[in-house]
Amino acid sequence: MTEPLRWQIATVTDIHSETPNVSSFTFALPDWMPHLAGQHYDLRLTAADGYQAQRSYSIASEPMRTGVITLTVERIPDGEVSAYLHDVLVVGDRVELRGPIGGYFVWKATTGGPLLLIAGGSGVVPLMSMIRERAGVGSRVPAALLFSSRKREDVIYWDELAALTAADPSLRVFHTLTREQPPGWTGYGRRIDGEMLAEILPAVGTDARVFICGPTLLVEAAAQGVVDLGIPAAQVRTERFGPTGA
Amino acid sequence: MSHHETDAERRMNSDMADDMADDMAGSLTLDANAVAGRMRELFGIEMTAVPSACAHCGNVAEMGTLNAFTRGPGVVLRCSACSGVVMRIVETPDATLLDARGAAYIRLPRTGA
Repeated sequence: MTEPLRWQIATVTDIHSETPNVSSFTFALPDWMPHLAGQHYDLRLTAADGYQAQRSYSIASEPMRTGVITLTVERIPDGEVSAYLHDVLVVGDRVELRGPIGGYFVWKATTGGPLLLIAGGSGVVPLMSMIRERAGVGSRVPAALLFSSRKREDVIYWDELAALTAADPSLRVFHTLTREQPPGWTGYGRRIDGEMLAEILPAVGTDARVFICGPTLLVEAAAQGVVDLGIPAAQVRTERFGPTGA
Repeated sequence: MSHHETDAERRMNSDMADDMADDMAGSLTLDANAVAGRMRELFGIEMTAVPSACAHCGNVAEMGTLNAFTRGPGVVLRCSACSGVVMRIVETPDATLLDARGAAYIRLPRTGA
Protein backbone atom coordinates (compact mmCIF):
# COMPACT_ATOMS: atom_id res chain seq x y z
CA MET A 1 0.00 0.00 0.00
CA THR A 2 2.97 2.33 -0.43
CA GLU A 3 2.45 3.08 -4.11
CA PRO A 4 1.19 6.61 -4.75
CA LEU A 5 -2.54 6.90 -4.97
CA ARG A 6 -3.37 8.20 -8.42
CA TRP A 7 -6.47 9.84 -9.74
CA GLN A 8 -7.95 7.79 -12.55
CA ILE A 9 -10.69 8.49 -15.03
CA ALA A 10 -13.66 6.28 -14.25
CA THR A 11 -16.63 5.74 -16.56
CA VAL A 12 -20.19 5.42 -15.29
CA THR A 13 -21.59 2.05 -16.38
CA ASP A 14 -24.80 1.93 -14.34
CA ILE A 15 -26.99 4.16 -12.19
CA HIS A 16 -29.54 2.48 -9.95
CA SER A 17 -32.06 4.29 -7.75
CA GLU A 18 -32.15 2.79 -4.24
CA THR A 19 -34.56 5.22 -2.54
CA PRO A 20 -35.97 8.65 -3.49
CA ASN A 21 -32.74 10.27 -2.20
CA VAL A 22 -30.14 7.56 -2.68
CA SER A 23 -28.67 6.07 -5.84
CA SER A 24 -25.91 3.60 -6.60
CA PHE A 25 -23.36 4.55 -9.25
CA THR A 26 -21.20 1.87 -10.82
CA PHE A 27 -17.90 2.94 -12.36
CA ALA A 28 -15.48 1.07 -14.58
CA LEU A 29 -11.90 1.76 -13.50
CA PRO A 30 -8.93 1.44 -15.87
CA ASP A 31 -6.61 0.60 -12.93
CA TRP A 32 -9.05 -1.32 -10.77
CA MET A 33 -7.59 -3.02 -7.73
CA PRO A 34 -9.32 -5.15 -5.10
CA HIS A 35 -10.55 -3.15 -2.11
CA LEU A 36 -11.38 -4.10 1.45
CA ALA A 37 -15.01 -3.92 2.52
CA GLY A 38 -15.41 -0.63 4.39
CA GLN A 39 -12.96 1.37 2.26
CA HIS A 40 -13.90 4.40 0.21
CA TYR A 41 -12.95 6.28 -2.92
CA ASP A 42 -12.38 9.99 -3.28
CA LEU A 43 -14.35 11.47 -6.17
CA ARG A 44 -13.28 14.73 -7.79
CA LEU A 45 -15.20 16.95 -10.15
CA THR A 46 -13.50 19.71 -12.13
CA ALA A 47 -15.49 22.57 -13.63
CA ALA A 48 -14.60 24.22 -16.92
CA ASP A 49 -13.02 27.13 -15.00
CA GLY A 50 -10.76 24.78 -13.05
CA TYR A 51 -12.79 24.81 -9.82
CA GLN A 52 -12.58 21.45 -8.13
CA ALA A 53 -14.81 19.77 -5.58
CA GLN A 54 -13.86 16.53 -3.89
CA ARG A 55 -15.79 14.13 -1.65
CA SER A 56 -15.27 10.68 -0.14
CA TYR A 57 -17.83 7.96 -0.79
CA SER A 58 -17.93 4.48 0.70
CA ILE A 59 -17.70 1.49 -1.62
CA ALA A 60 -20.91 -0.54 -1.65
CA SER A 61 -19.77 -3.37 -3.88
CA GLU A 62 -17.89 -6.47 -2.82
CA PRO A 63 -14.21 -6.82 -3.77
CA MET A 64 -14.77 -9.91 -5.92
CA ARG A 65 -16.58 -7.81 -8.52
CA THR A 66 -13.53 -7.04 -10.61
CA GLY A 67 -13.05 -4.05 -12.86
CA VAL A 68 -15.83 -1.97 -11.37
CA ILE A 69 -16.86 -0.42 -8.08
CA THR A 70 -20.26 0.77 -6.93
CA LEU A 71 -20.62 3.86 -4.75
CA THR A 72 -23.99 4.44 -3.11
CA VAL A 73 -24.56 8.16 -2.60
CA GLU A 74 -27.22 10.06 -0.72
CA ARG A 75 -28.41 13.28 -2.29
CA ILE A 76 -27.61 16.02 0.25
CA PRO A 77 -29.66 19.22 -0.10
CA ASP A 78 -27.30 21.90 -1.47
CA GLY A 79 -24.53 19.30 -1.73
CA GLU A 80 -22.59 20.38 -4.79
CA VAL A 81 -21.10 16.99 -5.57
CA SER A 82 -23.99 14.69 -4.63
CA ALA A 83 -26.46 16.94 -6.48
CA TYR A 84 -24.30 16.72 -9.59
CA LEU A 85 -24.12 12.94 -9.34
CA HIS A 86 -27.88 12.62 -8.88
CA ASP A 87 -29.11 15.27 -11.27
CA VAL A 88 -26.54 15.47 -14.05
CA LEU A 89 -24.48 12.30 -14.29
CA VAL A 90 -25.56 9.70 -16.89
CA VAL A 91 -24.16 6.37 -18.02
CA GLY A 92 -21.06 6.93 -20.13
CA ASP A 93 -19.98 10.07 -18.24
CA ARG A 94 -16.54 10.18 -16.71
CA VAL A 95 -15.36 11.40 -13.30
CA GLU A 96 -12.05 11.25 -11.46
CA LEU A 97 -11.69 8.68 -8.68
CA ARG A 98 -8.82 7.69 -6.42
CA GLY A 99 -8.73 4.78 -4.05
CA PRO A 100 -9.35 2.45 -2.44
CA ILE A 101 -8.64 4.39 0.76
CA GLY A 102 -8.87 3.48 4.43
CA GLY A 103 -7.43 0.75 6.61
CA TYR A 104 -9.22 1.20 9.90
CA PHE A 105 -12.93 0.73 9.23
CA VAL A 106 -12.48 -2.44 7.18
CA TRP A 107 -13.43 -6.09 7.34
CA LYS A 108 -12.17 -9.10 5.45
CA ALA A 109 -13.93 -12.44 5.21
CA THR A 110 -10.70 -14.02 6.47
CA THR A 111 -10.97 -11.88 9.63
CA GLY A 112 -14.11 -13.80 10.52
CA GLY A 113 -16.86 -12.97 12.96
CA PRO A 114 -19.28 -12.86 14.53
CA LEU A 115 -20.23 -9.47 13.12
CA LEU A 116 -22.48 -6.81 14.56
CA LEU A 117 -23.16 -4.05 12.04
CA ILE A 118 -25.03 -0.93 13.08
CA ALA A 119 -26.05 1.68 10.50
CA GLY A 120 -27.92 4.93 10.30
CA GLY A 121 -29.19 5.93 6.84
CA SER A 122 -26.49 5.88 4.17
CA GLY A 123 -24.06 4.70 6.86
CA VAL A 124 -25.19 1.26 5.72
CA VAL A 125 -23.08 1.54 2.55
CA PRO A 126 -19.68 0.33 3.86
CA LEU A 127 -21.50 -2.29 5.95
CA MET A 128 -23.29 -3.52 2.81
CA SER A 129 -19.90 -4.09 1.21
CA MET A 130 -19.07 -6.32 4.20
CA ILE A 131 -22.43 -8.15 3.93
CA ARG A 132 -21.94 -8.67 0.19
CA GLU A 133 -18.39 -9.93 0.68
CA ARG A 134 -19.56 -12.30 3.40
CA ALA A 135 -22.27 -13.63 1.08
CA GLY A 136 -19.92 -13.71 -1.89
CA VAL A 137 -17.41 -16.02 -0.21
CA GLY A 138 -20.17 -18.16 1.29
CA SER A 139 -19.21 -17.23 4.84
CA ARG A 140 -21.69 -18.29 7.51
CA VAL A 141 -20.17 -16.43 10.45
CA PRO A 142 -23.10 -15.10 12.51
CA ALA A 143 -23.86 -11.56 11.43
CA ALA A 144 -26.51 -9.07 12.46
CA LEU A 145 -27.32 -5.69 10.94
CA LEU A 146 -29.26 -3.14 12.97
CA PHE A 147 -30.34 -0.52 10.47
CA SER A 148 -31.98 2.78 11.44
CA SER A 149 -33.87 4.70 8.75
CA ARG A 150 -36.44 7.45 8.95
CA LYS A 151 -39.23 5.87 6.91
CA ARG A 152 -39.83 2.63 5.06
CA GLU A 153 -39.24 4.31 1.68
CA ASP A 154 -35.87 5.57 2.92
CA VAL A 155 -34.53 2.08 3.66
CA ILE A 156 -31.57 1.47 1.35
CA TYR A 157 -31.09 -2.08 -0.04
CA TRP A 158 -34.43 -3.29 1.40
CA ASP A 159 -35.04 -5.99 -1.22
CA GLU A 160 -31.47 -7.21 -1.33
CA LEU A 161 -31.26 -7.44 2.47
CA ALA A 162 -34.54 -9.40 2.52
CA ALA A 163 -33.26 -11.80 -0.13
CA LEU A 164 -29.93 -12.30 1.66
CA THR A 165 -31.58 -13.06 5.02
CA ALA A 166 -34.08 -15.43 3.37
CA ALA A 167 -31.18 -17.39 1.86
CA ASP A 168 -28.98 -17.39 4.95
CA PRO A 169 -30.33 -17.88 8.48
CA SER A 170 -26.95 -16.89 9.97
CA LEU A 171 -27.54 -13.32 8.73
CA ARG A 172 -30.12 -11.34 10.70
CA VAL A 173 -31.37 -7.88 9.78
CA PHE A 174 -33.22 -5.67 12.26
CA HIS A 175 -34.82 -2.50 10.96
CA THR A 176 -35.89 0.47 13.00
CA LEU A 177 -37.91 3.32 11.50
CA THR A 178 -37.51 6.44 13.61
CA ARG A 179 -39.92 8.78 11.89
CA GLU A 180 -42.87 6.90 10.50
CA GLN A 181 -43.86 3.25 10.54
CA PRO A 182 -46.19 1.78 7.90
CA PRO A 183 -49.34 -0.11 9.00
CA GLY A 184 -48.48 -3.59 10.19
CA TRP A 185 -44.80 -2.71 10.77
CA THR A 186 -43.21 -5.36 12.98
CA GLY A 187 -39.72 -3.87 13.28
CA TYR A 188 -38.56 -1.29 15.77
CA GLY A 189 -40.01 2.21 15.69
CA ARG A 190 -37.56 4.33 17.65
CA ARG A 191 -33.98 5.50 17.78
CA ILE A 192 -31.35 2.93 18.60
CA ASP A 193 -31.09 2.50 22.37
CA GLY A 194 -29.58 0.14 24.92
CA GLU A 195 -32.71 -1.99 25.19
CA MET A 196 -32.78 -2.54 21.43
CA LEU A 197 -29.07 -3.43 21.38
CA ALA A 198 -29.60 -5.86 24.27
CA GLU A 199 -32.37 -7.60 22.30
CA ILE A 200 -30.31 -8.13 19.16
CA LEU A 201 -26.96 -8.89 20.79
CA PRO A 202 -27.79 -12.60 21.42
CA ALA A 203 -27.82 -13.07 17.62
CA VAL A 204 -24.04 -12.56 17.58
CA GLY A 205 -22.82 -12.50 21.20
CA THR A 206 -20.27 -10.32 22.95
CA ASP A 207 -17.40 -11.76 20.89
CA ALA A 208 -18.73 -9.82 17.90
CA ARG A 209 -16.62 -7.39 15.94
CA VAL A 210 -18.74 -4.26 15.80
CA PHE A 211 -18.83 -1.77 12.94
CA ILE A 212 -20.97 1.34 13.38
CA CYS A 213 -21.50 3.92 10.65
CA GLY A 214 -23.91 6.81 10.53
CA PRO A 215 -24.52 10.29 11.87
CA THR A 216 -22.39 11.24 14.85
CA LEU A 217 -25.13 11.02 17.48
CA LEU A 218 -26.20 7.56 16.37
CA VAL A 219 -22.60 6.36 16.24
CA GLU A 220 -21.83 7.61 19.73
CA ALA A 221 -25.04 6.24 21.25
CA ALA A 222 -24.58 2.84 19.62
CA ALA A 223 -20.87 2.62 20.49
CA GLN A 224 -21.57 3.44 24.11
CA GLY A 225 -24.51 1.05 24.10
CA VAL A 226 -22.56 -1.98 22.93
CA VAL A 227 -19.71 -1.27 25.36
CA ASP A 228 -22.26 -1.03 28.18
CA LEU A 229 -23.47 -4.51 27.15
CA GLY A 230 -20.01 -5.95 27.67
CA ILE A 231 -18.40 -5.77 24.22
CA PRO A 232 -14.77 -4.65 24.67
CA ALA A 233 -14.19 -1.20 23.17
CA ALA A 234 -11.26 -2.59 21.16
CA GLN A 235 -13.78 -4.67 19.15
CA VAL A 236 -15.81 -1.60 18.20
CA ARG A 237 -14.96 0.47 15.11
CA THR A 238 -16.87 3.55 14.14
CA GLU A 239 -17.17 5.82 11.16
CA ARG A 240 -19.04 9.09 11.49
CA PHE A 241 -20.29 10.99 8.55
CA GLY A 242 -21.84 14.37 8.03
CA PRO A 243 -22.87 16.70 5.24
CA THR A 244 -19.20 17.25 4.36
CA GLY A 245 -19.63 13.96 2.57
CA ALA A 246 -22.09 15.76 0.28
CA MET B 1 -55.05 33.73 20.98
CA SER B 2 -53.02 31.07 22.64
CA HIS B 3 -51.64 28.22 20.59
CA HIS B 4 -51.85 24.75 21.99
CA GLU B 5 -49.40 22.32 20.48
CA THR B 6 -51.09 19.13 19.39
CA ASP B 7 -49.43 15.76 19.89
CA ALA B 8 -48.69 15.61 16.17
CA GLU B 9 -47.11 19.04 16.22
CA ARG B 10 -45.10 18.23 19.32
CA ARG B 11 -43.91 15.03 17.64
CA MET B 12 -43.02 16.91 14.48
CA ASN B 13 -41.17 19.63 16.38
CA SER B 14 -39.31 17.01 18.34
CA ASP B 15 -38.33 15.21 15.11
CA MET B 16 -37.16 18.48 13.62
CA ALA B 17 -35.08 19.27 16.68
CA ASP B 18 -33.60 15.77 16.51
CA ASP B 19 -32.79 16.19 12.83
CA MET B 20 -31.18 19.57 13.45
CA ALA B 21 -29.12 18.15 16.28
CA ASP B 22 -28.04 15.29 14.00
CA ASP B 23 -27.20 17.63 11.18
CA MET B 24 -25.26 20.03 13.35
CA ALA B 25 -23.28 17.35 15.14
CA GLY B 26 -22.81 15.51 11.86
CA SER B 27 -21.53 18.57 10.10
CA LEU B 28 -18.97 19.27 12.79
CA THR B 29 -17.55 15.90 13.67
CA LEU B 30 -16.23 13.27 11.32
CA ASP B 31 -13.59 10.62 11.72
CA ALA B 32 -10.13 10.89 10.27
CA ASN B 33 -11.39 8.26 7.82
CA ALA B 34 -12.95 11.22 6.04
CA VAL B 35 -9.51 12.68 5.30
CA ALA B 36 -7.77 9.36 4.70
CA GLY B 37 -7.12 10.31 1.07
CA ARG B 38 -5.45 13.57 2.03
CA MET B 39 -3.34 11.85 4.72
CA ARG B 40 -2.31 9.17 2.27
CA GLU B 41 -1.25 11.88 -0.17
CA LEU B 42 0.79 13.56 2.55
CA PHE B 43 2.47 10.51 4.09
CA GLY B 44 2.50 8.22 1.07
CA ILE B 45 0.91 5.34 2.95
CA GLU B 46 -2.47 4.37 4.31
CA MET B 47 -2.71 6.22 7.63
CA THR B 48 -6.06 5.35 9.22
CA ALA B 49 -4.77 2.10 10.73
CA VAL B 50 -1.52 3.74 11.91
CA PRO B 51 -1.32 4.27 15.69
CA SER B 52 -0.52 7.68 17.10
CA ALA B 53 -0.11 8.86 20.69
CA CYS B 54 -1.88 11.99 21.86
CA ALA B 55 0.65 14.43 23.32
CA HIS B 56 -2.02 15.81 25.67
CA CYS B 57 -3.38 12.69 27.36
CA GLY B 58 -1.20 9.84 26.10
CA ASN B 59 -4.06 7.94 24.47
CA VAL B 60 -2.73 5.64 21.76
CA ALA B 61 -5.15 4.79 18.98
CA GLU B 62 -5.36 4.25 15.23
CA MET B 63 -5.49 7.56 13.43
CA GLY B 64 -8.87 6.56 11.99
CA THR B 65 -10.33 7.09 15.47
CA LEU B 66 -9.37 10.78 15.56
CA ASN B 67 -12.24 13.21 15.28
CA ALA B 68 -11.90 15.28 12.13
CA PHE B 69 -13.12 18.84 11.74
CA THR B 70 -13.10 19.63 8.06
CA ARG B 71 -15.27 22.69 7.68
CA GLY B 72 -12.56 25.25 8.39
CA PRO B 73 -9.84 26.42 6.03
CA GLY B 74 -7.84 23.36 7.02
CA VAL B 75 -8.39 20.01 8.69
CA VAL B 76 -8.14 19.64 12.47
CA LEU B 77 -7.77 16.16 13.95
CA ARG B 78 -8.59 15.82 17.62
CA CYS B 79 -8.03 13.00 20.12
CA SER B 80 -11.17 10.94 20.64
CA ALA B 81 -10.31 10.56 24.34
CA CYS B 82 -9.42 14.11 25.44
CA SER B 83 -10.39 16.25 22.41
CA GLY B 84 -6.90 17.78 22.30
CA VAL B 85 -5.65 18.83 18.86
CA VAL B 86 -3.39 16.09 17.53
CA MET B 87 -2.78 17.36 14.02
CA ARG B 88 -3.63 20.24 11.72
CA ILE B 89 -3.32 20.13 7.96
CA VAL B 90 -3.63 23.24 5.82
CA GLU B 91 -3.24 23.23 2.06
CA THR B 92 -2.11 26.38 0.27
CA PRO B 93 -1.72 26.67 -3.51
CA ASP B 94 1.96 25.72 -3.36
CA ALA B 95 2.42 23.84 -0.09
CA THR B 96 0.83 21.68 2.57
CA LEU B 97 1.39 22.79 6.17
CA LEU B 98 1.37 20.03 8.75
CA ASP B 99 1.27 20.86 12.46
CA ALA B 100 1.66 17.58 14.33
CA ARG B 101 2.77 18.90 17.71
CA GLY B 102 -0.23 17.23 19.34
CA ALA B 103 1.10 13.79 18.41
CA ALA B 104 3.73 12.46 20.83
CA TYR B 105 4.51 9.89 18.16
CA ILE B 106 3.13 8.28 15.03
CA ARG B 107 4.06 4.66 14.52
CA LEU B 108 4.66 4.31 10.78
CA PRO B 109 5.11 0.80 9.41
CA ARG B 110 8.40 0.24 7.57
CA THR B 111 8.14 -0.59 3.90
CA GLY B 112 8.00 -4.29 3.37
CA ALA B 113 7.41 -4.93 7.06
